[in-house]
Amino acid sequence: MKKNSKLAQLYLVVVFLVLYAPILYLMYYSFNSAGTMHGFDGFTLEWYEEVFHDTRLLIIVLNTVVIALLSSAISTIVGVTGALAIQRVRKSRPRNSLLAMNNVLIVSPDVIIGASFLIFFTMIGIKLGFTSVLLSHIAFSIPIVVLMVLPKLQEMSPTLIDAAKDLGASGWGVLTKVVLPFLRPGIFTGFFMALTYSLDDFAVTFFVTGNGYSTLSVEIYSRARQGISPSINALSTLIFLFTITLVVGYYFLNRRGSRKPEWGVTQP
Amino acid sequence: MTKTRNLYLIPYAAWMLLFVATPIVLIVYNSFFDVEGNFTLDNFQKFLTPVYLRMTFNSFWYALLITVFSLLVAYPTAYWLTRTKHKQLWLLLIIVPSWINLLLKTYAFIGLFGTYGFVNAIFEWVGIGTQQILFTDFSFVFVSVYIFIPFMILPIYNALEELNPSLIYAARDLGASPWKTFRRVVFPLTLGGVKAGCQAVFIPALSLFMITRLIAGNRVVTLGTAIEQHFLVTQDWGMGSAIAVLLIIVMAVIMMLTGNRGARNSIR
Amino acid sequence: MTDKTIIRFDNVTQRYDRDTVLDNVSFEIERGKFYTLLGPSGCGKTTILRLIAGFIEPSEGHIYFKGKVINDVPADKRQVNTVFQDYALFPHLNVFENVAFGLRIKKLKNAVVTEKVKEALRFVNLNGYEDREISEMSGGQRQRVAIARAIVNEPEILLLDEPLSALDLKLRTEMQYELRELQRRLGITFIFVTHDQEEALAMSDEIFVLNKGEIQQSGTPTDIYDEPINRFVADFIGESNIVPGRMISDFLAEFAGKSFECVDQGFSPNEPVEIMIRPEDLEITTQEQGNLLIKVDSQLFRGVHYEISGYDEAGNEWLVHSTKKAVVGESIGLRFDPEAIHVMRFGETEEEFDRRLEAYSDHEDEAVGGGQGGGSTR
Repeated sequence: MKKNSKLAQLYLVVVFLVLYAPILYLMYYSFNSAGTMHGFDGFTLEWYEEVFHDTRLLIIVLNTVVIALLSSAISTIVGVTGALAIQRVRKSRPRNSLLAMNNVLIVSPDVIIGASFLIFFTMIGIKLGFTSVLLSHIAFSIPIVVLMVLPKLQEMSPTLIDAAKDLGASGWGVLTKVVLPFLRPGIFTGFFMALTYSLDDFAVTFFVTGNGYSTLSVEIYSRARQGISPSINALSTLIFLFTITLVVGYYFLNRRGSRKPEWGVTQP
Repeated sequence: MTKTRNLYLIPYAAWMLLFVATPIVLIVYNSFFDVEGNFTLDNFQKFLTPVYLRMTFNSFWYALLITVFSLLVAYPTAYWLTRTKHKQLWLLLIIVPSWINLLLKTYAFIGLFGTYGFVNAIFEWVGIGTQQILFTDFSFVFVSVYIFIPFMILPIYNALEELNPSLIYAARDLGASPWKTFRRVVFPLTLGGVKAGCQAVFIPALSLFMITRLIAGNRVVTLGTAIEQHFLVTQDWGMGSAIAVLLIIVMAVIMMLTGNRGARNSIR
Repeated sequence: MTDKTIIRFDNVTQRYDRDTVLDNVSFEIERGKFYTLLGPSGCGKTTILRLIAGFIEPSEGHIYFKGKVINDVPADKRQVNTVFQDYALFPHLNVFENVAFGLRIKKLKNAVVTEKVKEALRFVNLNGYEDREISEMSGGQRQRVAIARAIVNEPEILLLDEPLSALDLKLRTEMQYELRELQRRLGITFIFVTHDQEEALAMSDEIFVLNKGEIQQSGTPTDIYDEPINRFVADFIGESNIVPGRMISDFLAEFAGKSFECVDQGFSPNEPVEIMIRPEDLEITTQEQGNLLIKVDSQLFRGVHYEISGYDEAGNEWLVHSTKKAVVGESIGLRFDPEAIHVMRFGETEEEFDRRLEAYSDHEDEAVGGGQGGGSTR
């Protein structure tokens, strides 16, 4: 294929600059001793110190990580069984309705998910806080895991299962020795996607979080509504570096799993 | 086979019942009750008043604007991306910003677009003078497009990648100019990706509320903002549910019109 | 006979929803022989294999393994192993672990596993490849890994589901020799499924020809080639000229408007039949010397022979394989022996057919004293 013209290259560069500008801007001003997002006064690490001394913020970060890890682990388990269940439904009609049901939470706007979960939790009497946030995150992560695992499952030749049985493996042996190892890349992707969705979620959490319990997104929102807060800048720099580490780690995991990496993206 | 099938289906079906079916039923149920808990159709009647109709129109108008601008920026980006040398790396660079918590990105724009922010500094420098950027329709659409761009780029990129290059050669061989080739062959064949991208942008854009609050400063009131308002501020769950129900119906119609691929599902 | 029987199908029928893929099939398979199930796609050959392997249960009838019904014995409890068409090698395991899979399930000691795997790999000429990933192996090598993985479990029967179909022609021919050799060395029963008649003829002790869920004919490769029971078998195995005809009386057949001496008997007078003559049994001669006259319509050079096609006066098409060249448009004579004429009765069952053939060989024994090998094994 022909190579890009100068104009095309320029266009791409501009798009990338615009994409990264806000992030770099945030990071740059995290070192501003003036504590604003304009007029760089001098270099300081004061805001980073503030972040590490802000116990409330640190607890919130911990909350966020705990919720993310727990919810993605549980949703991965349920999601994998869900994918296995869907795969076993051979008739196209029930299968398609299962898939459609699976997609409901994926296509629903976060506001509606949040609102309906709020009603749901209030109705069955679950106190808003850790439990409600965890349950919601599990709930919206499961279909993502299913969607990441299912294609891998469909890719698996049915003769692999026959072969395992033929060689003496029982039902459990087929699952643990052949099916799950084969699905491993899909399971990893699913877990990872669930993790990023959970870390990134704002709207659903905002609805079901209640008083006294908060995740990072919700906290940033409430602080940002009050104006510029340099500790958020510092925090975002840290998060950015953490994300980059995750991405690089994921990239290599995927590299090892399959030659062709698949990139997951989270949705606001 | 039959015995194990049921086993796999149990946790997944339980999840579906609890977190997909029940919340939908509850939200529909709630939409028929007023604040005092009496059965009423008032909520739907209220929706037909000019205030809400205007809000609905606004939501659609902005969602449309956001989708169109996203598409206009994303298509050329995706197209030229497929023709760069290190495609995978560039794609990764597109995706990384989408993994940064969107609250942080939105927060960055408060700084960038502020009265003394970077953009106004440039305006000063070129002689336009300081403008009010924050809390305008422009800033709302711009930030939304910024947030959604990766979700538009990816499905289009994937569609372009799947395109068999010999089709392009065939078109050229049959005498089509590069532009004609694009218009007659490339674009129609990547329409699936465009549709998926539009779906992935339009539906969440309909119900945004975080960006409207932080960037548009309540100037833009969308259905998402209204739902949040009713649920978390005025506590009028009935009215909030009614809006949500209507939004769900609209969403379902859009899904049916654009084919039933899940919006986020197609972004991989 | 019963002693040597390892697998017996007794009126087995297999249905999926409403489709009958196997219709009341009965046969026996003996220890230590190389069997081939041959037929077009959808004939039920793979279904038989899956029934023996235990991946499916028959809808009706019984399957016996060494005299015991095994209908509901699951695949993992059968002493049968399969080489799959797509090899079904586990992509997450390397060559060694793929071959070791069955042994590990049986929880054998590590030292035993290593020894057995090495031996199996040596058997298929893959020693030294233990640590390779499956993705690094070529098609032919994967095939060998699949065979090693199956035979390492010391099955009594090895099932091979079109294992050569993914290989290129040259490798395929090579593997045909190797598989045959492997079967001899192992001394176990091989059941090989293919739609490639050349493969079947080259490798098998016995061939079962299947069509539409029924066994059409079974026998040695020469039996089936020389004495096909009906038009389907004649057409499917090798190339053939099939023309309508009539048995005037014993040893006298009429086709293409002429009567010919033949070696077939046991028909009613003037019974309508189909006449089959193999293209290589037709010899080109002058118009005067030929039993039959054809006008050459087309000619292709096939390397070992010319493939000549022409029409007789009755309008029948004749295909001739000849080392001699013909000229398109000219009339030539075709000569053939009475033995080359093969008469096929309409709707004859395999049993009736066998009985008829046996009568011939009795007759031949009396008359000629020796005769051809047709149909004498059963």
